[in-house]
Amino acid sequence: MSTSTSSNSESLREPAPAPVPETRFSAQAHAELDEIAGHYPERKAACLPALWIAQREYGGSLTSAAIQETANALGLSYAEVEGVATFYTMYNTVPRGRHHLEVCTCLSCAVNGAYDIVHKLEHELGIGIGETTPDGEFTLSEAECLDFCGAATIMQVGDKYFGNLTTENIMGLIDELRASESYTPAKLADSIVKILQPGSSITGGGSYTPESLELPAGPML
Amino acid sequence: MAILNLLFATRNVPGIENIDVAEAHGIYKGVRKAVTMERQAVIDEIKASGLRGRGGAGFPTWIKWNGLPKNYTAPHYVICNADEGEPGTYKDRELMLKQAHTLVEGMIIAGYATYSKVGYIYIRGEYVEPAWQVRKAIDQAYKAGYLGKNILGVDGFDFDLHIHMGAGSYECGEESALMSSLMGERGNPRLKFPHAPLPTVEGVWKSPTLINNVETYCAAGWIIANGSENYAKLGTERSKGTKIISVSGHIRRPANYEVEMGTPLLDLITEAGGVIGGGLKAVVPGGSSVQIVPADRLGPINLDYESCGANGTLLGSGGFMVFNDRTDIVLLMKRTSEFYAHESCGKCTPCREGTRWLFKILDRITSGGGRDGDIELLLNVCSNIDGRSYCGLGDAAAWPIVGAIKAFRPEFEYWIKYKKSPVGASALPPSPEVVNPLLLQAAAAHG
Amino acid sequence: MSDNRLTQTDVSLNKPVADLVNVKINGVDVKVPKGENLIESARRIGVDVPYFCYHPRLSKGDAANCRMCLVEVAMTGPDGSVRKMPKPQAACTMPAAEGMVVETETPAIVKDRRGILEFLLINHPLDCPVCDRGGECPLQNNTLFYGPPTSRYIEEKRHLPKAYPLSDHVVFDRERCIHCARCTRFTEDISGDSQLGFLKRGADMEVGTFARTEYHSKFSGNVIELCPVGALLSRNYRFKARPWDLMTQRSICSVCSNGCNLKLDYRVEQIQRVNARLNEDVNEEWTCDRGKFGHDYVSSPDRLRTPLIKRDNSWHPISWTEAYDTLVGKLQAAGSRVAGIGGAKGSNEDAFVFQKLFREVLKSGNLDHRLGRYQGPSSAPLLDYFGHNGMGNSIAELEKMKTILVLGSDLSSEQPIIFLRARKAWRFNGANVINALDRKIEDTTNTGDFASVNLIYKPGTEIALLSGLLHILFAKKLVGSDSPANIALEKSFASWTPEKTSAETGVSAADLEKAAYLLAVSPAAVIAGSTITNHPDYVDIAAVLGGLMSVTGNESNVNVPVTECNAQGAADMGVLPDSGPGYTVPATKGLNTGEILAAAESGKIEALWIVGADLAKDYFDPEAAKRALENCPFIVINEMFLTETASMADLILPIASVAEKDGTYTSCERRIQRFYRAFELSDNIKPDWLIFSEIAEKLGADAPYFSARDIWRDIMAAAPTHSAISLKSLGEAGIRWQYPGELNAVDTADAV
Ligand SMILES: Cc1cc2nc3c(=O)[nH]c(=O)nc-3n(C[C@H](O)[C@H](O)[C@H](O)COP(=O)(O)O)c2cc1C
Ligand code: SF4
Ligand code: FES
Repeated sequence: MSTSTSSNSESLREPAPAPVPETRFSAQAHAELDEIAGHYPERKAACLPALWIAQREYGGSLTSAAIQETANALGLSYAEVEGVATFYTMYNTVPRGRHHLEVCTCLSCAVNGAYDIVHKLEHELGIGIGETTPDGEFTLSEAECLDFCGAATIMQVGDKYFGNLTTENIMGLIDELRASESYTPAKLADSIVKILQPGSSITGGGSYTPESLELPAGPML
Repeated sequence: MAILNLLFATRNVPGIENIDVAEAHGIYKGVRKAVTMERQAVIDEIKASGLRGRGGAGFPTWIKWNGLPKNYTAPHYVICNADEGEPGTYKDRELMLKQAHTLVEGMIIAGYATYSKVGYIYIRGEYVEPAWQVRKAIDQAYKAGYLGKNILGVDGFDFDLHIHMGAGSYECGEESALMSSLMGERGNPRLKFPHAPLPTVEGVWKSPTLINNVETYCAAGWIIANGSENYAKLGTERSKGTKIISVSGHIRRPANYEVEMGTPLLDLITEAGGVIGGGLKAVVPGGSSVQIVPADRLGPINLDYESCGANGTLLGSGGFMVFNDRTDIVLLMKRTSEFYAHESCGKCTPCREGTRWLFKILDRITSGGGRDGDIELLLNVCSNIDGRSYCGLGDAAAWPIVGAIKAFRPEFEYWIKYKKSPVGASALPPSPEVVNPLLLQAAAAHG
Repeated sequence: MSDNRLTQTDVSLNKPVADLVNVKINGVDVKVPKGENLIESARRIGVDVPYFCYHPRLSKGDAANCRMCLVEVAMTGPDGSVRKMPKPQAACTMPAAEGMVVETETPAIVKDRRGILEFLLINHPLDCPVCDRGGECPLQNNTLFYGPPTSRYIEEKRHLPKAYPLSDHVVFDRERCIHCARCTRFTEDISGDSQLGFLKRGADMEVGTFARTEYHSKFSGNVIELCPVGALLSRNYRFKARPWDLMTQRSICSVCSNGCNLKLDYRVEQIQRVNARLNEDVNEEWTCDRGKFGHDYVSSPDRLRTPLIKRDNSWHPISWTEAYDTLVGKLQAAGSRVAGIGGAKGSNEDAFVFQKLFREVLKSGNLDHRLGRYQGPSSAPLLDYFGHNGMGNSIAELEKMKTILVLGSDLSSEQPIIFLRARKAWRFNGANVINALDRKIEDTTNTGDFASVNLIYKPGTEIALLSGLLHILFAKKLVGSDSPANIALEKSFASWTPEKTSAETGVSAADLEKAAYLLAVSPAAVIAGSTITNHPDYVDIAAVLGGLMSVTGNESNVNVPVTECNAQGAADMGVLPDSGPGYTVPATKGLNTGEILAAAESGKIEALWIVGADLAKDYFDPEAAKRALENCPFIVINEMFLTETASMADLILPIASVAEKDGTYTSCERRIQRFYRAFELSDNIKPDWLIFSEIAEKLGADAPYFSARDIWRDIMAAAPTHSAISLKSLGEAGIRWQYPGELNAVDTADAV
């Protein structure tokens, strides 16, 4: 039976074809994923860990290809994985700068000067919220409560919290970050992937330990 | 003296994150004791202690522990809710950072009592540093034989503990959303009893599941180690033991304070060094989701579930935020509503649409666009969310606003009428350019 | 692959009828099944609870999100005290329990509904005047009955691009979506492709495909009907008509053999859209995209609208009188050197009159509807081994199976609705599915995705595969080897060790074993597809398959569904060289398709009548067909379009489509279903049966048929299988005809 030409008169755009898949997961990444997936009765449960792995393997952000590769590794549909990736704020579905400055502006930080700090950063870095400096060094974001309100104002950069920030000390920190190789989105993802693996704190060697576990200076009991 | 360090007894001991030091200070004593007891006896101890959940709702812990099947034919799971996200609360952070072994101990005991062989600690993604300490504690506990197969030589007592990291979502602290997230899905809440079986019957992967807060497990470990009677003699009639209160805001010594239940609220402010930057205006005692209490009504409140409840607020998760008299309550509520609008998962209509609407109304008011009737509109929108949403996030978004309007209605009226802040009006030209005049006050407070 | 099965508790429809409980709804006492949701319970006493997201066929997983169905619920304690639950409860998921007291119209509930509708409308564009859904939109209806008169929302509404194309069929208006999750649940629960999902969260949450790329599904059209607003729309139907301007006719899908019940919505002799019509036994309320969007052909400008004759190698329109004169002349001249091929696309009535014309008037048994490789005795091989010649189970029965072996079939393409049942058995009822195929299907909707075990075997090794499975069943003592038949079987498959089978088929021994264990569970069914029926060794495969299914006691659960729309009906009506209506033994036997074509090629057929079959394309050996067509002196064809085959004919008779005639189809499960004429396309187009009947009259037969009804009366008289089935008795759901006992005794010995 011949199918007729549809008499659809309007000129709708055509649906976009799927992006070209990539395979950037290293053998180690696959091994890590298999190990972590083994913690759960279903492979699907490893979706969040797998996205962390993907975020690391793709250099700190989840491109469409990263989502496709993750979905293929888990046997899920692309839309399912994209739905997960876009639900959580820590997955970067848009690229970020080398340092992602996430200033908590939630209640306790807000009443302790967080917005002053945000404005200072906007002014000094010449970017608005959600924007990245032209040199790709910094992306500035506001964060919801980072839950370390005792040391307000808090800022998360990569896998570390910086506390007791003020408009006076913030630019010094920015200078330190500029010089630092750490505290990048990929490093954050890498730390999390390591944390998920048993023995990663003991085996040493390539294992990662955070630079400092000290609490930022602040009143203690 | 209100401060009573049970869980925090060892928090400042150097090297406490190492298992040998931890053991020397009595951590894991509880596990050793638990495995000599009948499993039911462990649950009975928890019951006798009167422990209630520390994640916010204060549900009796033993009822959950007792709800799982009393034998092992299919998997059971023990989950720790370490997704601490409530604005103002940072107790779980410190517990994990410094007392990770205490948490691990509590979970092993829970695993034993509930015939579970697998546990997950769901840690919010931002908490990398605390998570490293938990990783370390778990790795050491495996080496020391507290985790793994036939723990402490008890035949058939196997327990594995895994870390699951979140990725940035407050809603995943809600226990059913946490389970979705643990199963690799979006952090949407799941049907609750009586629409679906209880988690203790069908939780993650349709298996019986126990879910408690970090502090709850830590307290359970303490109770087993030190005896329920020693816990139950602390606190009040229906709120036993201690509660860790995270103090922040305009306060001289913000920190986590472990206090005996029933401690007068104002004593804690004194203990924490008093208000800074001005006089005391209001306190949010239990995290952003509970109602704000103006200074003049704080007097009768004690830090326990009943007293907070009787005084129009809640103890919640112990996120204790102090605000001085230069704080603009309307702006504070605008920021609070922004939080809930940002964190709503979007699944149900009232929360998805209502939280964003509340924020838009408050944003309009605080940008000088307030209109007559806005207060009634806010209250009505809140009433259309509260109790109508799928999970507690909607309620939690409505309560603070209703509470703030109740306590500080004139400030809302002022904003609507004069298009500017009632607090330090001269210092605060309420023009739209000023994103948040709150800052100016904060700056002044510190200056 | 994760196992996303749901247990029975997830879907109220699938619940076994449980104990009854006493509930009181708006003051009325009523007994309802325990655990039934309160929307359904309220419906029993005529109380409507408004809703958006609830759908009885979708899982509860992501449901209860719209909150439109809130009701007040109180529980009666053992002491008789009634305690009201502090919060209103979503009726769509609230399970009825003994002593429950429900109120659906209290002032608080009325206020709640207003609140919910206000929330839904604040971000809805309210562009109803230009919305296809207008007039049949649940959002409009609920707003009318329960909504607030005005909105208090003065803020800026959400703005998103409109009319986003998701696929060739579906277009998405993102602004209108109310986030009910029906569409996303459909792709997860029913079609299984999970192509639609929610992206982002909170008020920014949107439905979408991955990275806004194409929506790949064989069942995408269903979401258009499921969407309770005008967010998901048909690209074809967009802006074509208002629902209230449409006329609707009951129909049956003419695209494949599954027999979906459809509604044709038409206006000015054009089908504007096709929607599913509920039939719990067949398609439930689903359609596949081929069916839903494939009826465009009816209104195609390319339809042939007048008889055509080929002269000097070009086509000339002629009158029916002229066409008939030519045809009658040719038929008379050809005498017994006539043959007929086709009929699998027409109605039962068409097929019956077709064979009647041949057998009774032209006195020829040269007729066959089969285009596939197997053209042996019509009663074999299936009838020999399984007692039927198509499906042993009904489509609906498949959902009760514990194991389903899908053998040699890309099921979602070949049998879309059977595929949905198999998937339902897996997802909602806990069945295990075995997918055995000679290739891996890369498709969003396929059996391999949810199969418990995938047996991807080397092409052509079906017999080895089945033999190996039989071997394991005996070796692992999964079946008894006590009966003489089984002892014999065990012996004859003794050599098919897993190692040998694995080497031959390329399937791992572990997978074979897993499959064998699953097959030992009862009830187990097999659905065999075109890879099997087109196999050169079809008969042998059927024999081994018969052995496999009978040792596990599942011999009645073998299904080899036909693929063409009415192939089952054509066979039933006797468009076969060796069997008459109802599988009676005909007076004359004739040639089968292959033999007819061979005879035509060698000039032994003078006149060939092709009925709606595109031999040059669809015959399993197209070259052979073309050679025959080239060499046959006279070919007449009943067609709707100028197909390749038609273009090789000498005379074309334009025929009516399913929308332009009355009649019945018999689906692959032997279900006879009625369809009705919607409109008249043109005076010059005739149903096939009328053509046959008029020609018969011209050739001297008795009075012609005047309506499809008349023909049915003769079918009942002629076909013992149909003797008790009157048109009236078919009702809404149709009837599966059953084999009378003696049918198995059909004499197959001297078949062609
Ligand atoms: C929106 C929302 C957020 C929540 N966040 C947390 C959380 O971050 N941590 C937590 O322990 N409980 C949280 N809860 C409470 C949990 O749902 C649950 O009651 C708790 O984990 C149970 O543990 P418990 O019995 O030990 O308190 C939250 C509840 C809601 C409604
Ligand atoms: S597109 Fe339609 S069916 Fe899908 S969520 Fe939106 S309103 Fe519901
Ligand atoms: S129909 Fe019940 S919540 Fe949508």
